[in-house]
Amino acid sequence: MKFNMRRRSRIRGAAMWLLLLELRTPLITLIVTYSISVLGLILIPGVTPEGAAYHLSFLDAFYLVSYTATTIGFGETPYPFTPSQKLWMLFVMYSTVIAWLYAIGSVLTLLSDPAFRRLRSYQRSVSRIHGVRDPYWIVCGYGGAGSQLIRFLDQSGSRCVMIEVNAARADAARLSDLSYQLTILVGDVAEPQTLVDAGVQRALCRGVLALTDHDQVNLTVATNTRILAPRVAVYARSATDANTRNLRSFDTEVVVDPFRVAARSVTQFIRRPNAYALYHELVDPDLNQIEVVEVPVAGHWILCATGRMAETIVEAFVREQIPFYLVSSRSTVIQGDWPWIEGVGTEAQTLREARISEAVGIVAGTDDDGDNLSILLTAQSENPTLITVARRNKPTSEPVFGQGHFDCVLREGRIIAQEMYARLTTPLLHQFLGQLETMPEALVDGIIEKLNARLAGDRPELAHFDLTLDGKEAPGVIPFLQTVMTPKLGDLLVDPGLDHPSMPLICLLLIRLNGDQVPFPGDGLPLEEGDRLLIWGAMGAHHRLHFLVRRVDLFETVLSAQHQKTA
Amino acid sequence: MNTQRVWFAFFIVLALTLNFGFFVGEIDNPLHHNPYELFFALVVSLIATVLKIGDRSHLGAVLLATSLVADLQLIVAAVMWGYAAQVTGEVSVSVMASIVSLAGGAMLANITSVILLIAETIQLKR
Repeated sequence: MKFNMRRRSRIRGAAMWLLLLELRTPLITLIVTYSISVLGLILIPGVTPEGAAYHLSFLDAFYLVSYTATTIGFGETPYPFTPSQKLWMLFVMYSTVIAWLYAIGSVLTLLSDPAFRRLRSYQRSVSRIHGVRDPYWIVCGYGGAGSQLIRFLDQSGSRCVMIEVNAARADAARLSDLSYQLTILVGDVAEPQTLVDAGVQRALCRGVLALTDHDQVNLTVATNTRILAPRVAVYARSATDANTRNLRSFDTEVVVDPFRVAARSVTQFIRRPNAYALYHELVDPDLNQIEVVEVPVAGHWILCATGRMAETIVEAFVREQIPFYLVSSRSTVIQGDWPWIEGVGTEAQTLREARISEAVGIVAGTDDDGDNLSILLTAQSENPTLITVARRNKPTSEPVFGQGHFDCVLREGRIIAQEMYARLTTPLLHQFLGQLETMPEALVDGIIEKLNARLAGDRPELAHFDLTLDGKEAPGVIPFLQTVMTPKLGDLLVDPGLDHPSMPLICLLLIRLNGDQVPFPGDGLPLEEGDRLLIWGAMGAHHRLHFLVRRVDLFETVLSAQHQKTA
Repeated sequence: MNTQRVWFAFFIVLALTLNFGFFVGEIDNPLHHNPYELFFALVVSLIATVLKIGDRSHLGAVLLATSLVADLQLIVAAVMWGYAAQVTGEVSVSVMASIVSLAGGAMLANITSVILLIAETIQLKR
């Protein structure tokens, strides 16, 4: 059977057509056998019990053939048959029954054909996508990053459409535990038609996330989307600098290079542990606590890495001026004036050459999970106080890395998912993270301390959200903005209940209507209409905040109470 | 020469000729209209319909539609005749006129079909 896959644009109804096409020969066979049978029955004379000759009418003949063909067999009507009629009936029985079996067999063969079933499931997915009434993201590739990001987006209430070329991975995606039924299109995402079928040109499509493991495929997805749907945002994974530059050259919104992000994360983890902890709490919906790992400043690190990971991590360490020993095989030697030891790092001797007993920490960043674990276990037995950074390559190795008591685990899929999620959910978060990059560590420490003071010893789960001071989101606040009451930021973060204690929330970033940014604003900052706030704190407290800003009477009470306090 | 095209054209034209053969004659005179001819017109028309399935072009769709119209008209005519002959017991003049006029309608559809076939053939570049 041949399927014309190039004509998928008319995919809707294609399976039905295919069925009819396949049924052409069986249908004609049926028509011909029926008509010959009917004609024969009419032409062959019968005999009445009185001995008179008669001919069957068209109605009788058609009736007889119909019940014979369907093997119902009511018998000889209207009178017992003559031998010549019986002979003809033998022909009718065998030919019509065989014709029916042939027709039904053809239908069943087609229905159970794997290619036909693929076409049908593809068609069903396409019609489901085109029936969706909520905005959605198109996720290309159900790898570590894709599966993680779909989960993250589900937690923030966003829906996705999945494109995956591998049938086994698509089956895994079908089993994913989400709050909605994920629509999966099994097809090659590099083909433009697949993107069109996934609904890239619909107004409800919010963006395309190119997360496949192949740079070339991601690039093709980005270019195709640019041309097919210029207003749709493209977020792409890229594993080389050349590809990143290429993607950026045609305005791809976000390009995430997992190696660069991982290298940045490691140096941030070492030099700015508070910023690292805050960053990961904000970008990872699964991580709801601030966990600061104190890393000693003095001492050197041991980097066991291969390939691109080695390049990016060495570059980052040099930039941050962190002393290190590079342990790598000869094939991935990188020129520079730093101590280099040949080997993988799985042997104690290699690590001793890198002066492991005096080292602060070790990064196991090879592209083999077994090697990484072996490096870390050897290192821990050589120097138990060592700070360990592990790189996890395959999502299937997660159980060992999760239970391994490592201080920091770099997971490629998760890194990409976090980076993209931070940009997808709220633009305010993305702006704040940009400022966090260069924010002094003392200031970050201050933010965390301030929240901890408000939490007063509790360790609730943390979350962030944004709030816009306009008539839609904060109708309770708007009437007071231009009055002598001058509501301040601190008045918002107050529990509307008795005594008005302050809520365990802090404002990370405030953006004025004119674009001015105030990072980490103080409580005394006067509010203006159109301000956008990024608020961070205990999960659940935002319900009270939303309640407060919607009620004019409540907010007035809070305001006057606050004024009395200050007076 | 394409054998498939030969059969395709053969059945479409045969549907029209049989249809015409049944249609000619005095409209209400049963002697002028042979039931076997109606039977064959219907069978050939059904086969033509099945042959037209599968062409997803615009012309193919219109061809299929004309065939479906012809089938519908002929089936109604046949059922009417059968009902009159077997249930009512008498094929009256008015019933005969109805049957023949239904067949006439089917013929118009078949003519359209043949015209489309000719138009398509003329457009073909050799």
